[in-house]
Amino acid sequence: MKRELHITVNGDAHHLLVDERRTLLEVVRDDIGLTGTKNGCGAGECGACTVLLDNEPVNSCLVLAHEADGQAVVTIEGLAKGTVLHPVQEAFVEQGATQCGFCTPGMVISTKALLDRTPDPTREEILKGLRGNLCRCTGYLKIIDAVEAAKCLLREEGAE
Amino acid sequence: MNTCVIGRGLPRIDSVPKVTGEAQYTVDLKMPGMLSGKILRSPQPHALITSIDTSAAKNLAGVQAVITARDVPDGQFSFYAHLADKNILCTTRVRYVGDEVAAVAAIDDDTAEEALSLIKVEYEPLPAVYDVEEAMQPGSPLVHPEKEGNVTWTVQRLFGDPDKAFAECDVVVEGKYVTHQVAHTCMEVSNCIAKWDAKDRLTIWTNTQAPHTQRQEVARVLGISKRNVRVINSYMGGGFGSKLVMDMKLPIAAILSRNTGRPVRIVNTRAEEFTTSKTRYPYTMYLKTGATKDGRIVARDLKLIGDAGAYHDKGPATINFSSMMFGTLYNVPNIRFEGLLVYTNKEMGTAFRGFGNPQVSFATETQLDELAEKLGMDPVELRLKNSNEAGMETSCGADVCGCGMGECITAAADGIGWNEKRGKKDGKTLRGVGLANMVHTGGGGRFYGFNSAEAFVKLSDDGTVTLITSALEMGQGAHTTMAQILAEELGVRLSDINVLSNDTDLTPYDLGSWGSRATFMNGNAVLAAGRDARRVVGEAAAEMLEADVMEIVVEEGKVWVRGSDEKHDLAEIVEHAVNVHGSPLSGTGEFIDTLPEGYTVPTAFAKNIPCFSFGTQAAEVEVDIETGQVHVIRVIAAHETGTTINQTMAEGQIEGAVVQGIGYALVEELVRADGKILNDSFLDYKILNIGDVPEITAVCIESIGTNGPYGAKGIGEPGLVPTAPAIANAVFDAVGVRFYELPMTPERVLKALKESGRSEGGSS
Amino acid sequence: MKAFDYMRPLSVEEACAALAGAGGTAKALAGGTDLLVQMKHGKLQPKALVSLRSVPGLSFVRVADDGGLVIGAATPLGKVEYSPLVRAGFPAIAGAAAWIGSVQVRSRATVGGNLCNASPAADMAPILIAYGATATISDGRAERTLPLEDFFTGPGKTVLRPGELLTVLSVPAPSPGSFGIYRKAYRSAMDIATVGIGVVAVFAPAATTTAAVFSAELVIQDVRLVLGAVGPTPFRARAAERVLAGQKLDESLIDLASRTASKEAKPITDMRASAEYRTTLVEVLTRRALLAARSWAEKGEQE
Repeated sequence: MKRELHITVNGDAHHLLVDERRTLLEVVRDDIGLTGTKNGCGAGECGACTVLLDNEPVNSCLVLAHEADGQAVVTIEGLAKGTVLHPVQEAFVEQGATQCGFCTPGMVISTKALLDRTPDPTREEILKGLRGNLCRCTGYLKIIDAVEAAKCLLREEGAE
Repeated sequence: MNTCVIGRGLPRIDSVPKVTGEAQYTVDLKMPGMLSGKILRSPQPHALITSIDTSAAKNLAGVQAVITARDVPDGQFSFYAHLADKNILCTTRVRYVGDEVAAVAAIDDDTAEEALSLIKVEYEPLPAVYDVEEAMQPGSPLVHPEKEGNVTWTVQRLFGDPDKAFAECDVVVEGKYVTHQVAHTCMEVSNCIAKWDAKDRLTIWTNTQAPHTQRQEVARVLGISKRNVRVINSYMGGGFGSKLVMDMKLPIAAILSRNTGRPVRIVNTRAEEFTTSKTRYPYTMYLKTGATKDGRIVARDLKLIGDAGAYHDKGPATINFSSMMFGTLYNVPNIRFEGLLVYTNKEMGTAFRGFGNPQVSFATETQLDELAEKLGMDPVELRLKNSNEAGMETSCGADVCGCGMGECITAAADGIGWNEKRGKKDGKTLRGVGLANMVHTGGGGRFYGFNSAEAFVKLSDDGTVTLITSALEMGQGAHTTMAQILAEELGVRLSDINVLSNDTDLTPYDLGSWGSRATFMNGNAVLAAGRDARRVVGEAAAEMLEADVMEIVVEEGKVWVRGSDEKHDLAEIVEHAVNVHGSPLSGTGEFIDTLPEGYTVPTAFAKNIPCFSFGTQAAEVEVDIETGQVHVIRVIAAHETGTTINQTMAEGQIEGAVVQGIGYALVEELVRADGKILNDSFLDYKILNIGDVPEITAVCIESIGTNGPYGAKGIGEPGLVPTAPAIANAVFDAVGVRFYELPMTPERVLKALKESGRSEGGSS
Repeated sequence: MKAFDYMRPLSVEEACAALAGAGGTAKALAGGTDLLVQMKHGKLQPKALVSLRSVPGLSFVRVADDGGLVIGAATPLGKVEYSPLVRAGFPAIAGAAAWIGSVQVRSRATVGGNLCNASPAADMAPILIAYGATATISDGRAERTLPLEDFFTGPGKTVLRPGELLTVLSVPAPSPGSFGIYRKAYRSAMDIATVGIGVVAVFAPAATTTAAVFSAELVIQDVRLVLGAVGPTPFRARAAERVLAGQKLDESLIDLASRTASKEAKPITDMRASAEYRTTLVEVLTRRALLAARSWAEKGEQE
């Protein structure tokens, strides 16, 4: 059955008629057309579908869209401002932390969530914060480098 | 060699779209009227289909088409046409859990799912066989009863006189080794959209590593002309070999689209990706090595049984490749190889990064350590003593041009601290170090009978350059590598270059991206095209600037006459050529790699490999003897790159491959009961997460004397090949236990420790 | 997923009424990280989902007047993990929460959800039972409270009747000298526990106690040792507890208690591990948990 859903995605308000069975991931990708967030497993194991829901990182494949009614979602498309990349995105580019790129949106969102909560994470905290994002290509080492670099970029940005 | 762009760890040209979410994958595409297609798969490992009733499914509101075998062409398919053994949809028999039985197209996923549940199929179960050696016995259930037995393909190779050599040598080691079925787990699952146009031409959008080959395969199995098939690709969320051979969902989607008149998309669920997207070939190996007492390996004998699963795919090519690598490493003078490919009622195998080499290397490199122990020799010393050398043709005919094997061994051994750490058993620390070598292809292979690549360069009057190449971007960085080569030859910046590779109507005919082939083959073609483009730019500039063509300099997108301060944008030169002179500028290049004179594919054997790449990995592990967990502390991975085109990307390829190798060695395994895979999710099929990775040091060994672009060798595959034996050898150093089967799970390690009397946990 | 009625009650009473309807096939939806996976696989097909997102008073962490911990059943695990109250007074509970899934899962998954899903491997169960937690259940009109160790009746089964909702978990204030720890055997961090051990050991105070060292005599006054994933429900290893009670926690006692605990385990063999291996792990993890307890009592080192 369809029901009215009101959510804000990347600052834009959306009023949609959505079947109760649909997940936040499906609504973001199919109804709103933001395909940056990916479906990797549908079971909350791989993190490719990670978005921020009221600033908390969640697996959007396991959130029923209507459970997010009235809430604010941030997807990968909401990070850059025009052509100006978010420091986390910049760091991923500089450190060579992308290969096939399918895990990247989720990885970047999780990194942002980590650094928002813990601006100066230890290596252990970095590993813990990204354990829910699987990558098959990079072996993760350059992703760790990217998180460290993003940490510095954000600190510099904050100091300006 | 003086280069501007080659050798620099420049950021990839596809990074920005990937970090912003703009990069589009075929699974992101949407089309008006697109239907959701789903496949009904056999729940039985082996059974006769006695009836199928699709009436309820057809009558469900929202269902546009339901098909079974009677609705599709009845020709069979395999990667090798002469070994074709699989129907688009099963006719009378299903041969593994997951076999395609029927398919539906509906208005959305939920309706399609419901329609599948309404299709009634009656099965008469048949006895099934899962073990290759059982399948080889007379009286075993036959997976394909129209064939004489389950052994579906064999090959033998003989070089020198192994029997004599074994009889005369001083030390012989023998063993049986078994490797297991693992999944590629690409983050993007296999998916496709099929659509026919008004001229009856089929377009398929799909994440394929070999669009031109798959175009032929689709045409062949549908029984239509190749000219009516177009395959379009995009960025790929991983390949690793799983996307080389056509998946049956392509012709299924095509038929559903034909029947409904609408585009049809079929996407694997993650569970389907684990159970049907094909796996690495499990090998059962009987290996024997003979050596003189001073450590010269004189004879090797390998009988290799490959588990094909229920149908043919790349089994023969994989086993052939295994034999070539087996024959080449260490230049052993006397070699016997027997390979058999055997059907079982399981998910079939396909190409997977390493292509038979990780399996064989596990056997050969762990056995080599056993040989070292018997000889009383240090394993590093034994390997150095038998090292391949540059410029030497091996006994099996491999032409080894550049060879950095010695440097690889030394770099790995020094990096891990071999002399300080090896053999230090003080009873307290349960740490150990181990090492393993490998040889692999650094440039694909000639085993199709031909091997070539082309590239086109279009110069625009705005100063940008479009490169049309068939090198596909699946994460390995091929687009950036090609762009760097073009930038180097033409004198432009990476930011000036657009790379197109995605459409079989546009791109040059090509065998696809696999086997570490792109840098070598497509790279050489791009190099030639870049030089051609540079030539025409030089000529156009000479004409416009009224100078000698030898005095024209092109660098970073600027053109000038040597010695002059007046620098022009490339755009001006092209603008002048196009709009004033009236002749557009472009470049073409090709690279044709042929077998040496007098050889054919079967007789060439290892001469099918245009370029060999050597490598060594050393691992340090710590074993928890109470739980059996093996913690990998660090890996040094020293691999030949010939010339490293992009250091960051080369490291990334090696690091990613090593992590896959650790998973292969310790954690990953598809587990079955009664033929059904139990762990078809990331919850239970474990791949390493960020918290699991050890320190990895990638060392790029630059050795000269190869025929790749700037002397480069491909690096996509080798990083996975020696990891498992390096870890197994390290475990032996730590706790004195050898493993002959993979993976070395905690439970298996603990069991082995108990059996050897080393365990300290448990009172049983 | 099959279609369901999606309901958004605004109070516990409404939620219970909704759960009572739909012929017993209604499910409470909190974080959904277990529920939705099962629904997508067709293992569960509830006719109604009763969302708890708008029911007030189910998500909170506070300390009661007597120093005990009170947690709303719909409190996300991430809140438990990072709660200063939990970390200060009951660090092992925060520690157990931190093991579950990933950051993304812990943003949504709740304590109550983990318990009501009632996997034999539920990570929150062993440590909460070891701390003597009680569960409060409401039917919309009245409440009943029972020890958490009596909450589970079988794999995936609890004492909850149709129309009932788990609302609160209460943990009594730990006695002075309490040390709690949750240990889990895993192949990788996101694994469902192949074996989980929750221990709360209370050490008798010594005659002289310094700030750093609680009890150099190491005498166990009281202990609860709870095993997870080695039986149809989490359960207390009472024989091992009896071995430990009142005794000095030395090397040989640790060995004996660990072996005893492993004999009490009743694991199955499944794709994740064999029964034999799980039994071995119970012994190993129990030993490691008790060694950690001893280390804390001797040196004051907490994980």
